[in-house]
Amino acid sequence: MKTNNNRRRGILTVVLVFAIVGLMTLVHGTFSEKAVKGGKNISVEVIGNEKEAVRYELSTNQEYLLGALQEIEELEMESEDGPYGPMLLSINGEFAEFNTNGAYWAFYVNDGYCNYGVAEQPVEDGDAFQIVYTPAE
Amino acid sequence: MEREQRQQNVHGNRISVGDIAEIGVMSALIEVSKLFMQGIPNVELTSFWLIMFTLYFGKKVFYVIPVFILLEGLIYGFGLWWIMYLYVWPLLVCIIYLLRKKADIWCCSLVSAIFGFGFGLLCSVPYFFMGLPDGGIAGGLRSAFVWFIAGSRWDIVHGISNFVIMLILYTPIQKVMKKIKGIESIK
Repeated sequence: MKTNNNRRRGILTVVLVFAIVGLMTLVHGTFSEKAVKGGKNISVEVIGNEKEAVRYELSTNQEYLLGALQEIEELEMESEDGPYGPMLLSINGEFAEFNTNGAYWAFYVNDGYCNYGVAEQPVEDGDAFQIVYTPAE
Repeated sequence: MEREQRQQNVHGNRISVGDIAEIGVMSALIEVSKLFMQGIPNVELTSFWLIMFTLYFGKKVFYVIPVFILLEGLIYGFGLWWIMYLYVWPLLVCIIYLLRKKADIWCCSLVSAIFGFGFGLLCSVPYFFMGLPDGGIAGGLRSAFVWFIAGSRWDIVHGISNFVIMLILYTPIQKVMKKIKGIESIK
């Protein structure tokens, strides 16, 4: 009797977990920001720690920020693959990595903080990106 | 006599040297497990340990929480995420503490999974307040929702992994916990 009850609770729990996964997948698929195909004009401003701010303007067909950044010939970047995707470590020779010098590169789009990683941040026509050297608090 | 003294300490909100040692070991175990798992995105043992410690050490876990959160801040810096930690982890412990008499493997697995699924939603609260000045309540809700949606894929990973970890580790760790509590009661 107790075993049956326990089994029933187990099945109910597993079903409930699957139902939540389904619901969250649906919500994510419906509301998450989608990549836009086609040409876009965007700007990227790099604000380093010691160097002066540099602004780049470009036309790109890239759907995500990392691809667009890689198209800027004057922009030197070094990245490392992390558990959540590529992490930019060095931009134009300036290095920011939390474990090494307690700083990181913060990404902003149209004055708001980017909600996605650099490889997953969608690019839209007219977007103004900022990449800012940020010491950890 | 010593056992009575120990019980009196915990119930009377006074902690003994033994309690301090236990709190230290619990905090260290959580921190070491976190460091060990940090290469796997959104898979963690913190929820598991906090649930098990709440079940077997009761109120002592309320001393573990601030130690753990403070350690996290000292190691990784006191950013916005740290503000989230101030209420997210205590909430998990409070829920399990309230359910502790009925908590079995399924109850713990479900709570742990829901906590993982809802982690992003809970952490989006500061973004509601950050969005308030620009767009009022609607702006706040939008700001929190956009942030939650951006990370919801990782919340799914978090929820599933919490569920699986609890299902796998609950029984063996329960045996160890019972043994520890048995040794304690003999002292």
